[in-house]
Amino acid sequence: MIEFKGITKRFPGVVALNDVSFSISRGSCHALIGENGAGKSTLGKILAGVHRADEGTLHLDGQPVAPATPVAARELGIAMVHQELAFCPNLTVAENLCLGELPRRAGWVDRTAMRARARALLAAVGADLDVDAPMETLSTGREQLAQIAAAVGTGARVIVMDEPTSSLSAGETQELFRLIRELKVRGITLIYVSHRMEELFALCDAITVLRDGRHVSTGPIRATDPQRVIAQMIGRELGVHRPRHLERPPGAERLRIEGLASPGRFQDIALSVRSGEIVGLAGLVGAGRSEVAQAIFGLDPAAEGRVLVDGRPLPARSIAAALEAGIGLVPEDRKRQGLVLSLNCRENISLAALPRLTRGGWVRRGMERALASRYASRLRVKAPSLEVVTAGLSGGNQQKLALAKWLARDCDILIVDEPTRGVDVGAKAEIYQLLDELASEGKALLVISSELPELIGLCGRILVMRAGRLAGALPRAEFSEAALLRLMAGV
Amino acid sequence: MVPRFRQVFGFQESGLVLIVLALGALLTAFSGRVRVPEFTRGPDGARHRVFVTDAAGGRTPAFATRNKFLNGQNLAQLAKDTSFVAIMAVGAGIVIISGGIDLSVGAIYALASVVGALVLRHYGPNGPGAGAPAGVGLLLGAGAGIGTALLCGLFNGSLIVALRVHPFIITLGAMAIIRGLAFVITTGQSVGGFPVGFRQLVRYEVGDGLSLMPLAVMLLVMAAGWIFLSRLATGRRVYAIGGNELAARFSGIRIGRVKLGVYLLSGLSAGVAALLSLGYYGAATSGDGQGYELNVIAAAVVGGASLAGGRGSAVGVVLGALIIQMIASGIVLLSIDQNYSQIIIGTVVIAAVALDNFNTWLGRRRLSQKTP
Repeated sequence: MIEFKGITKRFPGVVALNDVSFSISRGSCHALIGENGAGKSTLGKILAGVHRADEGTLHLDGQPVAPATPVAARELGIAMVHQELAFCPNLTVAENLCLGELPRRAGWVDRTAMRARARALLAAVGADLDVDAPMETLSTGREQLAQIAAAVGTGARVIVMDEPTSSLSAGETQELFRLIRELKVRGITLIYVSHRMEELFALCDAITVLRDGRHVSTGPIRATDPQRVIAQMIGRELGVHRPRHLERPPGAERLRIEGLASPGRFQDIALSVRSGEIVGLAGLVGAGRSEVAQAIFGLDPAAEGRVLVDGRPLPARSIAAALEAGIGLVPEDRKRQGLVLSLNCRENISLAALPRLTRGGWVRRGMERALASRYASRLRVKAPSLEVVTAGLSGGNQQKLALAKWLARDCDILIVDEPTRGVDVGAKAEIYQLLDELASEGKALLVISSELPELIGLCGRILVMRAGRLAGALPRAEFSEAALLRLMAGV
Repeated sequence: MVPRFRQVFGFQESGLVLIVLALGALLTAFSGRVRVPEFTRGPDGARHRVFVTDAAGGRTPAFATRNKFLNGQNLAQLAKDTSFVAIMAVGAGIVIISGGIDLSVGAIYALASVVGALVLRHYGPNGPGAGAPAGVGLLLGAGAGIGTALLCGLFNGSLIVALRVHPFIITLGAMAIIRGLAFVITTGQSVGGFPVGFRQLVRYEVGDGLSLMPLAVMLLVMAAGWIFLSRLATGRRVYAIGGNELAARFSGIRIGRVKLGVYLLSGLSAGVAALLSLGYYGAATSGDGQGYELNVIAAAVVGGASLAGGRGSAVGVVLGALIIQMIASGIVLLSIDQNYSQIIIGTVVIAAVALDNFNTWLGRRRLSQKTP
């Protein structure tokens, strides 16, 4: 039995957890759900010793515990599988798995013993990995398997999984689910933090809903349903979204791609996007969707083929030309590619639009402030002020800023890569509505997403990529998850 | 007025000003008193000793008792010493904000000095060009010095952009190459004998020996740095690249162009400092500016520039240079053994950065507790 009693945790500008109390029974798979910023990751991290609670206590089988570090948590049998890299990417699988306690003989690393131990750890979770491969050559899914192997191998009885499937392909997800069910049979307690409702209902025994750092409910998962959970998460019923841009037929062709290819990434890509249209681009992780987006935007130095805007070909591999033609790219990784986190909201919004805000090299500050506040309020960015540094904002607000940046640049052709990854339900709905509005205004949108319901709800047409090629296209009338999955997986 | 003041003078700069004032108060309190000779300024601007004529008709030089730190002469000296470092620190600060580093500023300073000196000597009283109008030699000398510094900056910048090698390595190599060039063209000899007007211009003094030129140039460079960083689009791009180069690239910023400009500015600032030193000291050798790169980087870091990039300001960097000079001058005034000066300054640099980290952490904590 794991009990949280009155846990409170504060971070700069937010109370992440506010007097949270509930308990988790041993040997169950317990879902932890809530919007971004609801505090579910923080709760997991307190359990795993990454953070310490400011107030409240944690009880493990009736004993109060306070793991101060991840190592201390490990000694209590609690481990965490992270969203982020938990390993040294340059070391091999075997080295990473044994890093805490390298087998030594007379001061030298005993490589044979190390490999053997790593193989045993992996075999215990049924993972078939090359122990001599550098960690960086592994896919995210396989790396997670290695993390789980490491956790189980060190005797973990409680494993916290934070958004484990957010960047897994469908096959990898199934593999992970099989492993989770197996771990449960072995009596290991799993705490499963996720946004993905269907996974929770397929896997978990009990569910705890958090909202704004407060505990809302805990109970067996059979006693509830997704609609109710969503309502509890956001405190209101979410209306079914109907895109308005579909009411009018799309206009003239804005963006046309012919024979786009990049060696080793993708080949033979041809597509077109019309004004007032949202075209979806589906595919498994690794199918080459983001790579195509970046090549269209001129970021791929090896790209070949033609990109035409309004029928005029753009000079190859030039971001400047793409920008000039009105193409904007909201990249998939907002923290690494989308925003400069050390700059404030205003500076991030105006970053791509700087050439238009400049006279004789000087930034026109009045114009800049007006532009930033216009788009911040249009996208309902929630920040204390536009002068706060973006690092402290929630994922949803950061994503809105990444979008605002390209709207401020006046882009008519927007490529949006994973617009709602790691974004809470409320912000998701706002982003869908915004994308729909933009299309209604006549902009041409290409939306890449791994969440099929998102594409199905939003797009007029969906293209599917598989292994670097276009595998097919579906008009809205033929949309279904099954049809898309068949194209994505090639069966 | 207050919000405007806050905008210009951020939280960090206010802290640095407090440190400067506290250091000044400490030095004033502990440095004791000293007898300094009195001067008077003649109508031609030259300084003359003041003599007291006693009853017997004998003339003895007059002395006044002053605070060792808080007296005109010492402050004038401090202003001059700070100026040279601060000018270069503004350039180095911009490089550091962009996420780079320039180790070659000391060498650029030396090469710009000797090249400028060679041209100035040509037009000097004993040079072959002695007959030319006074302004020509000055302009050509200044142009040669600044031009050399800009070429060095161009060399650094273009190699960093073209080869995609870490700036630490490129500027480390450039430091040796440029210093070597300075040795080669002077064969290690000191170069002097400049037109008289040049020294008079730079050494023009008011009050207790305060040279206006270095101070004025430093203030100008600081103002230019502040405008560049906080008001010009390119300055914003420097922060963006330093904060997250990939995101800057995804925003359509031409990274190479900005980086090239940043190293040009760093070279330029070294060239300006070199010219001032030529006028002030009246001679140059290839060994000038040895170790300046470290002083300059230390000033930038003490002034709040983050070596990780994306953070810092021109005003902060100049204050950082002032703090370091005040400590160096304090070591002399308090009669601490000179051998300790390096140890003390090294400690200060580490303490300053640690304190800044602590302060940031404290600020975050305060922020989190304020929220209900």
